[in-house]
Amino acid sequence: MKKAGYLKKQKEKEFIAALGAKARVYAPCLEDEAVLFKPVEPDSVICLSRPAVSSPKSAIYPQSETLFSFRFKKDSEDPRRTLVELDDTIAVPDTIIFGARPCDARGIAVIDRAFSKTETPDPYYLARRAKTTIVTLTCPEPSTGCFCTRVGCGPAETSDSDVMMTELEDGYLMEALTSKGEALLESPILEDGTAYEAQAKEAQKAAHERMIKEAGEADTTPVDPETFHSQVFWEKAAERCLGCGACTYLCPTCYCFNITDEQVVDKGERIRSWDACMFHHFTLEASGHNPRAQKALRLKNRIGHKFVYYGEKYDGIIACSGCGRCIRGCPVSMEISTIAAALKKNSGTVSGEQ
Amino acid sequence: MSVVEGKELRIVGFLCNWCSYGGADTAGVSRFKQPTDLRIIRVPCSGRVDPLFVVKALISGADGVLVSGCHPRDCHYSDGNFYARRRLEMLKRFLPFVGIDARRFHYTWVSASEGQRWQQTVTDFTSLIHELGPAPLLPQNKTLPKEARA
Amino acid sequence: MNLEKLKEIVRTVLPSVDVVIGYKKGLDALHPVPCFLTSPDEIDALVLNPACMHNLAAYLPSLKNRAAVVVKGCDSRTVVQLAQEGLIKRENVVVIGVPCQGAVSVRKVLSAIDHQPVIEASFENDTVVIKTKKGEARLALRDVAPDKCLACRYPTPVVADHLAGEEVEPKIDEKTAYQEIREFDARSLEERRAYWMAEFDRCIRCYACRNACPLCVCRESCIAETRDPHWMSQKATQNEKMMFHMIHAIHLAGRCTECGECERACPMGIPVARLKKKINMEMKELFGYEPGISMDDKPPMYTFKVEEEKIEEHKIR
Repeated sequence: MKKAGYLKKQKEKEFIAALGAKARVYAPCLEDEAVLFKPVEPDSVICLSRPAVSSPKSAIYPQSETLFSFRFKKDSEDPRRTLVELDDTIAVPDTIIFGARPCDARGIAVIDRAFSKTETPDPYYLARRAKTTIVTLTCPEPSTGCFCTRVGCGPAETSDSDVMMTELEDGYLMEALTSKGEALLESPILEDGTAYEAQAKEAQKAAHERMIKEAGEADTTPVDPETFHSQVFWEKAAERCLGCGACTYLCPTCYCFNITDEQVVDKGERIRSWDACMFHHFTLEASGHNPRAQKALRLKNRIGHKFVYYGEKYDGIIACSGCGRCIRGCPVSMEISTIAAALKKNSGTVSGEQ
Repeated sequence: MSVVEGKELRIVGFLCNWCSYGGADTAGVSRFKQPTDLRIIRVPCSGRVDPLFVVKALISGADGVLVSGCHPRDCHYSDGNFYARRRLEMLKRFLPFVGIDARRFHYTWVSASEGQRWQQTVTDFTSLIHELGPAPLLPQNKTLPKEARA
Repeated sequence: MNLEKLKEIVRTVLPSVDVVIGYKKGLDALHPVPCFLTSPDEIDALVLNPACMHNLAAYLPSLKNRAAVVVKGCDSRTVVQLAQEGLIKRENVVVIGVPCQGAVSVRKVLSAIDHQPVIEASFENDTVVIKTKKGEARLALRDVAPDKCLACRYPTPVVADHLAGEEVEPKIDEKTAYQEIREFDARSLEERRAYWMAEFDRCIRCYACRNACPLCVCRESCIAETRDPHWMSQKATQNEKMMFHMIHAIHLAGRCTECGECERACPMGIPVARLKKKINMEMKELFGYEPGISMDDKPPMYTFKVEEEKIEEHKIR
């Protein structure tokens, strides 16, 4: 532990406002009954008491972003020629994600690999990522659908964050984990946190034990290939799926996107927007052929990407952080956790259910 | 859609080919004076006008939308305008629910011979839209901060 | 709602159909999930309680075979509407009706228990009993019923080949059913606008509302997603979000059976069913029409009268 500060609860607002003076702060804000990660505005009500419906990935990887804008113009010298003006400046603000959960931070780590560990690292994503500091809150309590410990994450997991924040009686212990985190803790609003470290350790340990009790230890059993390639398994598993994109859009690790030119008359933008593998259009080819025409195949891709394909590419890492958002947000309560568990068994009669 | 800044507002007109477009033409040929804010889109029949055409125009920044077809019982396709009447009435009643002023949308019937009626309709509707002023713009990008340029 | 009676009916119906669509236990007692029964061994897994919110008729248009479906009053209207529009064949569907005393909105329950994780949930007559870390909460069904149930006029299915339970009398008359809409209409234009802008702002365009809607039958051809015609861009702006909700609402004009699935499915809690309810209210006033009540009706947007009694020509001023 490099450095620790203590944030009194009554100073939380003041601290966030001070952060806001330096950077754009994304925090879980209350909107009606929903808790959503949003840029904090003066009248925002920040809610740390329960996990947000949406993940904070939009701070680094917005739902839609302009890659460049363009405008067609007639050449004044030669009217037969059309000129194109391009604007591809990337302007990125300093950003702080405040009050993420360890599963959210893990999600960003998963997305990081896809945009950086490739032959063509993505300048848009990386520019934002470099300017982002992640302040993560130790998850005090498992929520409905949570299963982070089973996929190797945990309620007090520190490996993907810059600052770890643990709720104590009348405040939060903030521990810096990186130099970015240390810089963030340079604030006169914080007290010295050394005295609270032992207490925070206890709280983190307790949170971890509670989650283990609820969700179980990390399950490293590999996916059974026969089950994974069984059409019957997926048809059964996808039976009630509605094919909407709630799971992927709420997911902290989903990063698939679409690129489109949105042009009106003589000007437009090339934008990149979230896509969802549960949509029919996701793999629809220009010829009209769709290799994943049924929802069973689309579900196989979604689960497969998280539990099989991603690991094949990146050292066996599971691209699911166990946050349970897709379960809570699903209109028909599809449970990725039970499907993943069923995938690891080869019971002969594969049924997609527990 | 280009307009004369400061003078004109954006008004979109969906006119059926057989009556109202003819009516507008009659008005033009007769050299009836009309305001120039209206941009006409010719459609085969008022029955072709999906209420969503109107919504799309209004959401995309039109200050007013006018739909005009053949008089009831006079449709070139015999009943297209009867369907249109139901759909457009539904729309007219729905728009205010989401906070769009229903006065910004008007539907009416003008025949090919009614150049005068066309002139009157355009003049009155345009002056009403000018009274209402430019439509309040939807925030294009509230969720995303400016820097994100989304 | 009578589970034993339901099981008995399913047992007799199952041999004559390929699949029975009902409910079974999901991740907890508050989240039952749709299930597709094909064998008698599965019948004992069936559940039936006020948390069975899903409109199972939504699965009917995509089924090729003969199916039996468990429907509440509101869901039964969907069956009628689908059959009326020729989207399903009535003779291919065995309707198992369950008279309903009102369902439970998970969102309202969570709000009532301060969003504590639910340990256990059970149902007694008109009470939901929720156990959380903080203790036991007893909630009156009425207080946690979704808005659609508070305005329900068809608690007993309007169509049913079998009925699992006693008929339930509606508690609401036509006038009060649309009270909520009238109150909203009474707000100023600016207020209404601000309200919807704030609500639509949360939309993530996941299309859960559309996919959960039993009457959104364009499926893959929905103009919200097609590039040709190019109605909407992929931008996450309020314009686009609003446009999408307008598409959904207007395509349901005179067809929405008010099952409230769009609203329940929305992970962001946007009250999208309200848009459709407003149009329904106008349909009732203009054409005296209510969707999904009689098999012989024709949706008002599919027909016309030469003389419309209720539509008067509008003056510009």
